[in-house]
Amino acid sequence: MKNFTQSALAYIADHEDSPTRLEAWNTFSALGLPSTVDEVWRYAPLGDLDLDCFTVGAPSEAPALSAFAHELGERAGLVIRVVDGDLVDVAGSLEGVSVERSESTWSPKYASDAFAQLNCALSPATITVRVADATHVDQPIVILNTTRGDSSFPQMLITLGRSAQVSVVEYLDGGVDSLVVPLTEYDLADNSSLQVSTYQRLDATAWHVARSTGHLGRDARLRQAVISIGAHYNRSRNDVEFLAAGAENELRTTFLGSGHQVHDFRTHQFHRAGRTHSTLLSKGAVADESRSVYTGLIEIEKGAKRTDARQTNHNLLLSPHAHADSVPNLDIRENDVMCAHASSVGPLDELQRWYLESRGVTRRDAERLMIQGFFYEMLATLPPQLAEVVERDLGETLGHVEIVTP
Amino acid sequence: MSTLTIQGLRVEVAGKEVLKGFDLSMASGEVHVIMGPNGSGKSTLAHALSGHPGYRVLEGSVVIDGVELLDLSPTERTRHGLFLALQHPMEVPGVRPVDLLVAAGAEREGLLERMRSEARRVELRPEVLERFVNVDLSGGERKRAEMVQLAVLQPKFAMLDEIDSGLDVDALGAVARRLQEATTEWNCGVLAITHFRRLLQELTPTMIHVVSEGRVVATGGPELAEILEKDGYEPFRIVQK
Repeated sequence: MKNFTQSALAYIADHEDSPTRLEAWNTFSALGLPSTVDEVWRYAPLGDLDLDCFTVGAPSEAPALSAFAHELGERAGLVIRVVDGDLVDVAGSLEGVSVERSESTWSPKYASDAFAQLNCALSPATITVRVADATHVDQPIVILNTTRGDSSFPQMLITLGRSAQVSVVEYLDGGVDSLVVPLTEYDLADNSSLQVSTYQRLDATAWHVARSTGHLGRDARLRQAVISIGAHYNRSRNDVEFLAAGAENELRTTFLGSGHQVHDFRTHQFHRAGRTHSTLLSKGAVADESRSVYTGLIEIEKGAKRTDARQTNHNLLLSPHAHADSVPNLDIRENDVMCAHASSVGPLDELQRWYLESRGVTRRDAERLMIQGFFYEMLATLPPQLAEVVERDLGETLGHVEIVTP
Repeated sequence: MSTLTIQGLRVEVAGKEVLKGFDLSMASGEVHVIMGPNGSGKSTLAHALSGHPGYRVLEGSVVIDGVELLDLSPTERTRHGLFLALQHPMEVPGVRPVDLLVAAGAEREGLLERMRSEARRVELRPEVLERFVNVDLSGGERKRAEMVQLAVLQPKFAMLDEIDSGLDVDALGAVARRLQEATTEWNCGVLAITHFRRLLQELTPTMIHVVSEGRVVATGGPELAEILEKDGYEPFRIVQK
């Protein structure tokens, strides 16, 4: 048994120059870990979470890159390596793009979020990727985020100046028996455009509790993809605030659950200005005894006229012991809006499968083709080098699970 | 030379017996046509033979070259040589025709080119085959796409369920010619289910079987189609006891 609190306080004492850490820690202590009585955590296996299984320590040395991380990096203009939450290396350079490391000041913004407070108390630094006004970056920026130690609290800000344009691929790996709590913000100035794809492929023993928030200026465009295969418990909260007219957000979350995994997705699209547009597509499959929950809130402020918000969630059940919940919520305080949501939970279509079999395709291959087909539209919008790997990983995971259909 | 023999086939759909002892026997290279009024059991035959989950075989036997198909999975039935082209081919979103055909056992080498050339033979725009299986295809395009699958997979026997319904005259001609050519190209046996005689203008039947009330009530040469054209199905109707 380790002592999380002791190691956390020692870490904070070692960084006493940063006054907000202790504040954040105290806020976390006052809040305590959430419980499943709390509606927003009701599906999380929090009973199994014992912080004393983890310690907080100095970041580890950077490990050798995995083959995939290497491959991903090769096609990037800039490769940012983050190990145990700290910036360890920036390779390459791009005109108009800078990477900085600074003390976190975010704690007051997340007053009621225990995990975010934990991140603010224990994150080594805020890592900021800044793209200057009117900079159009052709090559993607790759962030390789590895957890080697018992815990990691990455804090990342990607900020785009006016009319800037960039694509970012973030890859999370490692995390054997660890607690990984990333906190991310995307600040998009007017007319800027960010495509960000996050691929979470942590070890199956990891606890992953992530939160991201986008702040969109006038006519800004955030296209966000979140793909999750890893972690024992995968919590992914992705919020967007539409601060000015014409802002657009497309969010696609994709997951594949196996074993006893829990995938817990939360979204909050907060339309505070008119003519803003959100499209949300969540698609995932659960196999074995895994489960998933998707809870999405679309909130439209009074006066946010001509807002268009759509939410779609499709879940594929690959085993009778797997379970998926879909909970769309709408809070609309303006009449002149377009808002829609749709969701489905079900097994593979028996007749489609029969059709493939009647062409001579084996049942196993028919199911494999249909599941790949289910994920296809999610992969089609990813940067190609990432799509290839995700497809391969999905295929590999599907090769291990037993698909049980009616 | 292969043979397909159906004997005493009884099939139930939603608790109702639709095929009540169906018999038919044919050889490679032959064209057999099954005609009959609505509800006589024609489509049930096609679905039951290919193992559709909604159809329950009560009794009977379907044998290709000594192998009992009814003991096999839908996949194995097809791999033993019986291919079904559907009246309403299903959409399978996210699955590309080329991947379907590879999974069905087609040789990958040169496959795309073969698909394109087969598409042209049935007057299907080859680009259509780049879409997901049957997704956003018109009724006519779907049936022509089934012909492409058939030609690539080259089964011993092709069973066609109302392949002519919803096709315009040109499309019908193209499909019928392709089937006729298949009978010599790889000695394919064709079992075509149809309401209408017009399919037979380009596809020469070896035998015509008239079906009523779930069994074959008359078998004959092409002249049978002419009788049906003139007198309809009424003379062949079985009076229920």
